[in-house]
Amino acid sequence: MAGERGEEGGEEGDPNLKKRAHAARSRLIVRLGAFLVSHSALVSVVCCVAGFITLFLLPVLAKHTYISENALMPGSANPLFSSQDVNEANRFIKGIIHKRIEKEEAGIELQKFIGQSIADVGAEVHYHKFSPHTNHFNPLHFFSSTSNTARIDTNNSCASFGVNTVGIIRAPRGDGKEAIVLVSPYNSQNMEYNEALSLGLAFSVFSLLSKVTWLAKDIVWLAADSRFGEYNSVSSWLNDYHNPIFSRDSGNLDSISNDCHHWNEIRIQGANSNFFKRAGTMAAALVFKVMEKKEKGDRDCLTMYAEASNGQMPNLDLLNIVHYLAVHRQGLRVKIETMGSLLNSAWVKFTGEILEGVSRLSKSLNPQWKFDVTTADYVEGAATLASSMYYQALGVPTGSHGAFRDYQIDAVTLEFLPRFYLRNENAQSTFLLRSGRLIEGVVRSVNNLLEKFHQSFFLYFLTAPNKFVSVGVYMIAFALLVAPLPIVAAALFARAKANEITTDDCAEKCTPIDTKESEIATGSWKWLQAAKVLLMIHSWAVIVSLLPYYISHMINLNSTMSMLTWVSLSISTLPFLYALFGSPFSLNVEWELLKAVMVATISIGLGLMSIINFSTAQIGAMLLVPMSLLVHPLKAKMNVNALLRAALLTCNIAFAFLGFPPVALLVAKGLSEGFGKLSIGDFWEWMEFLWEWNSATYLYLLWVQLPCWLLCIHILLHPCSRGDSRHKQ
Amino acid sequence: MANLLIFIADFVTAMLIRATGQKLLLSRRQSLEYLNLPKLVKNSANINAGDLASLIYLWNPLTIVTCLGLCSSPIDNLMVVLTIYAACSRLAPLAAFGYVLATHLSLYPAILILPVILLLGYGPDAPPAKLFLHKSSNSDGKDPSNNDESRSAVTTHKPVRCFSRRPVVHFMIWVSIWSCYVLFLCSIYLKGLGGLQEMFKKTYGFILTVGDLSPNIGVLWYFFAEVFEFFRNFFLIVFHVNILFMILPLAIRLKHRPCFLAFVYTAISAMLKSYPSVGDSALYLGLLGLFANELADMQFSFFLFFGYIGVSLLSPVMHNLWIWRGTGNANFYFATGLVYSCLQTVLIVESVSTMLKHDRMLRKHVIA
Repeated sequence: MAGERGEEGGEEGDPNLKKRAHAARSRLIVRLGAFLVSHSALVSVVCCVAGFITLFLLPVLAKHTYISENALMPGSANPLFSSQDVNEANRFIKGIIHKRIEKEEAGIELQKFIGQSIADVGAEVHYHKFSPHTNHFNPLHFFSSTSNTARIDTNNSCASFGVNTVGIIRAPRGDGKEAIVLVSPYNSQNMEYNEALSLGLAFSVFSLLSKVTWLAKDIVWLAADSRFGEYNSVSSWLNDYHNPIFSRDSGNLDSISNDCHHWNEIRIQGANSNFFKRAGTMAAALVFKVMEKKEKGDRDCLTMYAEASNGQMPNLDLLNIVHYLAVHRQGLRVKIETMGSLLNSAWVKFTGEILEGVSRLSKSLNPQWKFDVTTADYVEGAATLASSMYYQALGVPTGSHGAFRDYQIDAVTLEFLPRFYLRNENAQSTFLLRSGRLIEGVVRSVNNLLEKFHQSFFLYFLTAPNKFVSVGVYMIAFALLVAPLPIVAAALFARAKANEITTDDCAEKCTPIDTKESEIATGSWKWLQAAKVLLMIHSWAVIVSLLPYYISHMINLNSTMSMLTWVSLSISTLPFLYALFGSPFSLNVEWELLKAVMVATISIGLGLMSIINFSTAQIGAMLLVPMSLLVHPLKAKMNVNALLRAALLTCNIAFAFLGFPPVALLVAKGLSEGFGKLSIGDFWEWMEFLWEWNSATYLYLLWVQLPCWLLCIHILLHPCSRGDSRHKQ
Repeated sequence: MANLLIFIADFVTAMLIRATGQKLLLSRRQSLEYLNLPKLVKNSANINAGDLASLIYLWNPLTIVTCLGLCSSPIDNLMVVLTIYAACSRLAPLAAFGYVLATHLSLYPAILILPVILLLGYGPDAPPAKLFLHKSSNSDGKDPSNNDESRSAVTTHKPVRCFSRRPVVHFMIWVSIWSCYVLFLCSIYLKGLGGLQEMFKKTYGFILTVGDLSPNIGVLWYFFAEVFEFFRNFFLIVFHVNILFMILPLAIRLKHRPCFLAFVYTAISAMLKSYPSVGDSALYLGLLGLFANELADMQFSFFLFFGYIGVSLLSPVMHNLWIWRGTGNANFYFATGLVYSCLQTVLIVESVSTMLKHDRMLRKHVIA
C-alpha cells in the first residue's frame, strides 16, 4: 500500500527530476541517485521487506564458532586438577560451613577464613572494603569511561560495608604486567550451600594454580562479597583497582574504618593485608557460580552469560574456549539464555516450517546446496537470538562480568548447574572435578595469550552456544531497513521543491517576474523552517529526558504518581516551547518538508544508535522505520482508491499508537505476561531501571524515538491548508 | 581569564563579520543599482547577510564547542576576519596587522594574500567587470532615455572597478613592517630558547612536516600513519601543493568577488590543513552566511545540513568506540573524517558553482 502511495508520489516528482537528470547528464552518480529518488516508494517497500526477511533469516545464516586465535590452544595440555584438589575443595567447603554454623552473625569471619586459606597456600592476600553506592541519574555515563562510582559516605556505620577478599598468585614465568581474574561471588551475610560450593571450587583451582610452573600471568582471585549485589562488589573493586587514590592516609578505607573493630581485627592479623594490591592489566576474567538444581538432568549443565552494559560483548574467542573445553573435554552441556515465550510461539514455528520446506525444495533442485534447516533448529535459534538481542538492547549487564567490560576486559559468567542434588557427596566430587578442570583449562588457554583478545569478533549475536551471527551479517538487516530513509528524505524534498516550482510557473503566468525573484531569497533554503520545528521538538525531548532527575528527588511518590507527574510536566512544557518558537502549524511548514526533515533525523539517530548499541537500533528501526515511512496527513487528499486509503489510515493510526514508547512497552509486556497486571507505573519503573544502569537505551528512547513520534503526530494532524491552496492555484 | 579572552575574541569576530556583511551589502546594492536591476536590490534587503552571518557564527555549535574547549582557534579566526574586514574597508595597516598575525599563528592564512590584494585593489565583491562594460556600451548605444543617468553612474563607478595600486603598496609596506616587528619581538622573547630558527622549526616545521599523528578530524594523520617512510616526503609535498594548486585558478575565476574567494580559501585550507579543528569549520561556515543572498539557490543544502549534523554527532561516538570501549578500530573514526572531508568538498564545489550561476543569471538579466 505504501508502494501505491509512493508511486503516485514518484510520478509527481518525475518531471522535475527528469529536468535535473538532463541538467546533470554528465555525472553518472547523480543520475543514479535521481533514479533511486524517483522510485523511492518502490525502493523503500523492497528494502523494508527485505530487511524484515533478512532479520527472520538470521538464525539460518548463523555460522559455527571456531577458535580464531592460534595462541589459545585450548585443551592441548592434560589437566592437572585431580581428586586431591577435590579433597582440598571439600575441606574448604566444610571449613566454611563450620564457620557459618559456629557464628550466627558472621561479621567478617568468613572473609578472614578465606584470607587465611589463601595465605596458607602461599599467595598474597588483601581485603578490599567497599560500601554500596546508590545508582544515580547519570544518563551520559556510557560515554565517559572513567566511572565515578567511588562515592563513599564518610558517615557510614560499620555494618554497611562489604569486604572482598583478594588473593594474588605472582606468576613464576611472568613479568607481573598481566593478570587473569577469577571471581566467585557469595553472600557473606546469608550464605547458601551452593555459594560455599562455588567458593570451594574457586579455592581448589586457586590452590592448584599456586603450585603450577607454567603460569605466565598473575592470577587474581576475588571472593566477592555480594551482600549489596554481585555487580556492586566487583565494580567497586575494579574501580579501586584502576583508579588509585593518592590521599594523605593511603586509601579512603582507613579514614572511615577506624571506628570499626572488625576491620581493625583483620588489620592486626595480616601484615600489609589492608593495602590494596595490584597485578597488572587483566587479560580476561571468569565469574563462576554454582546453582542449586531443582530438577534432575542427564548431564551437568553450564550456562554462559556474556552481555555487558550497552550491548557490549566479550571477545568471541573467550566464549569459544569455554564452550570447546566444556563440551569436548569435560562433557558438560552448555546453554545460553533463550526467550521462553518464543519457543512455543506458533508464528516462529510456522516460519521454521516454511524455511524447512524451502530447504527441502532447494535440496531437490540441487543436492549440492547446503541449505539445511529444520523447524526445531530454527525455533531454538530464533529464541536464543531474540534473547541475545533483547539483553543487548536493554543495555543492562546480565551479571557481574559486565563490570569488567567497562574497563575493556573480556569477561564471562559461568553458571554451573550440577546434575544431582548438591548434598550428594559423590556427585559433588565428580562435579567439582569436571568444573575445576574446565576452569583450569580456560585459565591455561588465556595464559597462553600473547596479546589481549583481538582476533575474533566483539560484535555478534549468539543463536546457540556454538553458533553466532557476526556483525557483517546482521548489519545487512539493519542497513536494508535504514537505507530507504535518506532516499525517501531526498524524494520528499524534491517533491516539495517541485510543488514550489509548479506554483511558481502558475504565478508567472498571471503576474510577471516578481514572484520568481521573491523565491530566490528563500529558494532552496525553505526547509529551514522545518528544521526549526525539528530543533524545537528535539529540545523538548531533551527537557523531558532530564525531568526524571527532579521527579526522582521528590519523596513519597510511587511509580504511578511519578509517571503521571512526568507525563503532565512534559505535556505542559510543549505549549511553552510553542510560544517561544512558534507552533509548527502556525509556521506554515509543508508536511512534505517536515517529513523529509524527520526522516533525515531518524536516519542519523538510528545510525548513531547502531554504533552505540546495535540491538537497540535494530529493534527501534523495526518500529520507527515503517512508522516514519508510512506517515501521511489525515487531511491530505490521495489519488488512490478507497480501500488503500483506509488501509493506509489504519496503519498510520496503529503505528502512531504503537510508536509511543510507553504504549510500545506496555503492549510488549502485556503480550508476554498477560494484560491483567499492567499499570502506568510500569514504564516509570522500567525507565528507572535503565538509567540506574546508565543504559544508552534510555537516551535513544527519549532523544530519538519520542521526538520522532511527536513529529509523526504533527504530520498526521497537519492541516494541509497551504498545500490545498497551492493545488487550487 | 583565558575563557573570557576567547569569549571576547569570538564576539569581536562576530561583530567584524557583521560589519563586513554591511560593507558587502552596500557594494552589492550599488552595483546592482548601477546595472539597473532594482528588483534584485529590493529583494536582497530581505536578508541582512551581515547579521545572518554573525548569528551563524555565534550560534554555531562548533563555535560554542571551541569556545568551551578553550581552543586557541577563536584567536586565529579573529585575525583572519580582521584581515578581511580591514581589506574590505581599505584599511591597509589593519589588514596587514591581521594578515601578519594570522599567518604567524597558523601559517595557512598566508594564502589569503591574493583576496586581500584584490579587495584592496578593486574593492568589495561585485558582479563581473564584463557586465559593467556591457552595460555602459549598451546604455551608450541603445537606450537613449536612460543615457544621462547611467553615464553619470559610469563616471561615479568606473574608478571603483579600476585596480588602484596605492592601498596595495601600502599594504605590502605595512606587512613587511608588521612582520619585522613580530619577528623582532619573538626573537627577544625566545633569546634563551633557541631563537627564531628554533621557533620556525617548532611552529611552521611542525605544521608542514605533520609530525604529530594523534587522531584529529582531518585525514592526514591516518594517511601519514599508514604511508611508508620513504614516500613520506613525496606525499608531504603533494598534500601541501594541493592547496597551492587551487589558489591561482580560483583567483582568476573569482577575481571580481575577493571576499567570496577568501571564504573559499579558508574552507579549502580548513579541509586540507595538517591539523584541522572544528574551529576552522566554524569560521568558514560563519563566512558562508555573508553570501546568503547570492547562494540562495544552492543545491544540496538539505543534504549538507544533515550531513554536518550527522558527522559531528557520529565522530565523537566513533572516537569513543575506538579509544575507550576498544571494540572499534581506527578505521571507524577515520571513516567519519573521510565523510567530513567529502561534505566540505561538496560544500565548496556547490557554493562556487552557485556563485558562478548567480553571476550568469545577472548577466542574463543585464543582456535581456
